[in-house]
Amino acid sequence: MLEIEGLSTGYGRVQVLWDLCLKVEEGEFVALVGANGAGKTTLLKTISGVIKPWSGSITFLGKRIDTLHANDIVDLGLSHIPEGRKLFTDMSIKENLEMGAYPKRTWKERRETMKWVFSLFPRLEERAGQLARTLSGGEQQMLAMGRGLMSKPRLVIIDEPSNGLAPRVVSEVFDILGSLHKEGITILLVEQNVRQTLATADRAYVLENGRIALQGSCTFLRESDHVRKAYLGL
Amino acid sequence: MVVIRDIIITGLLLGGIFALVSVGLSLQYGVGRVMNVAHGEFIMIGSFVTFWLFGSTIHLDPLVSILITAPLTFVIGWILHATLFRRLMDTSPTLDVFEGKSMLASFGLLYVVQNIARIIWGSQNYQVMYLNRTVTGAQIPLNRLVALGVVIVIGVVFYIFLARTRMGKAIRASSQDPTTAGLMGVNINSVLAVCFGLGVAMAGIAGSLLSTLYAIQTSMGLQYTVIAMIVVVLGGLGSVSGAMIGGVVLGIVSQIVTYFQPTWTLIAYYLVFILLLLVRPKGIMGK
Ligand SMILES: Nc1ncnc2c1ncn2[C@@H]1O[C@H](COP(=O)(O)OP(=O)(O)O)[C@@H](O)[C@H]1O
Ligand SMILES: [Mg+2]
Repeated sequence: MLEIEGLSTGYGRVQVLWDLCLKVEEGEFVALVGANGAGKTTLLKTISGVIKPWSGSITFLGKRIDTLHANDIVDLGLSHIPEGRKLFTDMSIKENLEMGAYPKRTWKERRETMKWVFSLFPRLEERAGQLARTLSGGEQQMLAMGRGLMSKPRLVIIDEPSNGLAPRVVSEVFDILGSLHKEGITILLVEQNVRQTLATADRAYVLENGRIALQGSCTFLRESDHVRKAYLGL
Repeated sequence: MVVIRDIIITGLLLGGIFALVSVGLSLQYGVGRVMNVAHGEFIMIGSFVTFWLFGSTIHLDPLVSILITAPLTFVIGWILHATLFRRLMDTSPTLDVFEGKSMLASFGLLYVVQNIARIIWGSQNYQVMYLNRTVTGAQIPLNRLVALGVVIVIGVVFYIFLARTRMGKAIRASSQDPTTAGLMGVNINSVLAVCFGLGVAMAGIAGSLLSTLYAIQTSMGLQYTVIAMIVVVLGGLGSVSGAMIGGVVLGIVSQIVTYFQPTWTLIAYYLVFILLLLVRPKGIMGK
């Protein structure tokens, strides 16, 4: 579904990603883990068209997307839920969700889609008219996820959804990702919470200094000495 | 008491015009980060198109002429953004650099537009005589009341546009976070061009109305640019509702000063401006 080959990119003259290859098959739940500053966010931004690649190719559903603008990529069914939620804080919850359905294809169906999103996040429905900034951290993450689903994506790429949340809320976030996966949505999850991530995803990549250091099934990675020492503190 | 009432009424009437003059600039700066010092030139264009249509054989009613000046100035603004400002943005490494460049470019625009107008209309004063009798019982000329009515209608329509429509929501989202709006599927370039076009159209409409209130001349633009800049800073950079309130505040201040000493109005504008920057640097509605 998503194929990345030989991808290099960076900011100004500073290279961040080096000749990176990554693949996500339809229906998979793939994770990308790595330390702070490894380049995870940069990779997701490059996939969704916020940053242009220097070289290499990104293919989504058989179509080259590395030359497209972000607004055209979301229209193809790839939704990026960004790091730090990035809500429209001066707009209401309902309006934030509507913005998620902005592509013409999904705008017409936004009311039905919103019902589906509210069924996933009942607390959002109770507060539909409130400004996004009045929500708690956990609710804001739910809204960011709900908004990202409003474009009815086939692939969701999501950046550190558990960051800054209380443990109970973190489990809730992972549960929701699990149920979205069961509904048939393909997921590429970026996380620093390695333990819970390897327990949830099918397969994972370990990113170190802009390069893929290790990859494999989550069961395999949990047993690897490198992962145990560097990421699980064992 | 009668004096105070009259000052407030005339201040409101003037403030409404100031608000209309300023909302466009606020929109251009708030969403697009364009410091458009040529803003007043589009007011001048609005005035002269209205004057020209009024004086032509069709003798078009100045209010009706808004139906021509608004779309005309919108298209001018849209094209300016889609060509000039968008290119500047693409070649600027940061938004701050772009802001500086946009100001210089619009400065150039100011001279180009003003000199073309001067070639056509010269530098003398013109007047559109329209509804300048007073309403019975009050001292207020009818054209001022009509102008305020139009300003209110435009304010309400614009508010509904921003609050309810797909494009309006995209504009608000883009002004808060353009990158994330892009992730939602918003084509930022087209939103910015629409915003700039709307800003220029507001200037054009203000120009049409102003031509019925005051004498117009091809050099009239700059004074309105200055007023708009003061109001926009007063109300908070980029805040549309702030520009509305700022416009009314400045209108009333202007009338109070005019009552005591008309020659001091411009000085008073700048004093209010400096005082506000010291006391509330983010403006009335700033956070
Ligand atoms: N906007 C930016 N401009 C310049 N450098 C950046 C920018 N964003 C991130 N970087 C740098 O790129 C590297 C990777 O960052 P990032 O992709 O955010 O890592 P991660 O998400 O894995 O923590 C870091 O060294 C960071 O300092
Ligand atoms: Mg990151």
